[in-house]
Amino acid sequence: MTTNSLAPIVTLLQQRAAISSEWMNEVLRVWMRMYPGLVNEDELRRQADALLKELAKLFSEHSGETPPDIGANSALGEIARELSADRAKKGFKPADTAQYVIALKNVLTQHLVSTLNETPASLTLCLRAVDGVLDRLSLLTFEAFVETRERVIAQQSLSLVELSTPVILLWNNVLLLPLIGVIDTVRARQLTERLLESITKYEASVTLIDVTGVPVFDTSVAWHIMKTIDAAQLLGSRIVMTGISPEGAQTLTKLGISFANVISRATLRAGLAEALQLVGRRIESTGGVHK
Amino acid sequence: MNKISVYVAAEFNIAEAARQAKLMASVLGFSSVQSYYIATAASELAANVFIHADGGMFEVSALTDRPGLELVVSDHGPGIADIEKALQDGYSTAGGLGCGLPGVQRLMDEMDIDSQPGQGTVVRARKWL
Repeated sequence: MTTNSLAPIVTLLQQRAAISSEWMNEVLRVWMRMYPGLVNEDELRRQADALLKELAKLFSEHSGETPPDIGANSALGEIARELSADRAKKGFKPADTAQYVIALKNVLTQHLVSTLNETPASLTLCLRAVDGVLDRLSLLTFEAFVETRERVIAQQSLSLVELSTPVILLWNNVLLLPLIGVIDTVRARQLTERLLESITKYEASVTLIDVTGVPVFDTSVAWHIMKTIDAAQLLGSRIVMTGISPEGAQTLTKLGISFANVISRATLRAGLAEALQLVGRRIESTGGVHK
Repeated sequence: MNKISVYVAAEFNIAEAARQAKLMASVLGFSSVQSYYIATAASELAANVFIHADGGMFEVSALTDRPGLELVVSDHGPGIADIEKALQDGYSTAGGLGCGLPGVQRLMDEMDIDSQPGQGTVVRARKWL
């Protein structure tokens, strides 16, 4: 190896036990208080050891003025990403996750200052290198943290979309599409697809669309529902719309929207009676015990 | 809680704008029908900046001098070329129903539009208690 100006860092990192315990004490002091029960101390010490080993390797392979670079796919990058993805899943705050790397930087800086206070030139070089590498490591952990969170959010919203658009076979040839929540472009497309599939599959001659759960009936919701109705009617299903609130009805007239060709009933109950009549059925009393 | 802003950059922000407007309206003491009108108007205005201007700022605020509520949307989009036409029922440049802006005018008590082609648009709509 050529003369390595960063040799003091390597020497420091090779006394892993001391650095590791100081670092972990700092981290655990905060984490044990904030996230009791979520911190596995042994696991954490093992991870810290692995990370320090990789850091030592990085600095020993590197010599020169510019600080060594860490790729996201290097061994060190992998460790950092894994660690912080794990934190994100367990619900750690971003700041507490970032503190992990910052604590290491503090410990290393302190040690370097005390061992190299005789040789300021070497100290400056080493501090710069430690700064550069650990800053990059911070960025990597931060990125991984956000990515993990975003993946969780994306999965949640996907499962919400899945959950919220059921098409129910209510009676022979009668379908019910209960709309709940905000109808945006993605959901509108999905519920149209599902409804049309179901109309074909069950040969539905009547479809009840219940909008009780739609918070605001504006022109874009109306537009989406109109498109769905048009398509359903092309497949030969009559539409009965139910559940428009008195406020919603007044708003729709103010907006100047009318649902022509659509039977509308205030409640799902009235809508169901209408739908059964359209298919030639009715619900009758059988004189049961519960009247 | 005199003013709440929502930056409309994605479709789900539109629902958030409507929610905040409805909340503010009912806190100020508007009836449930009036609150529904305000929420719908908010939704229309927010949808407009999302569709036509690629995003913009939505604000709902309480008016104190004369008690009421104001919705303001502002964007740096292409502007409205012909405001008179945009206020006609059934006129749409984006393939919609074309009753958004005229609808807002009917749902609220006052509305004014300030639009510079190529610079952006500010729409203010007020409803009095």
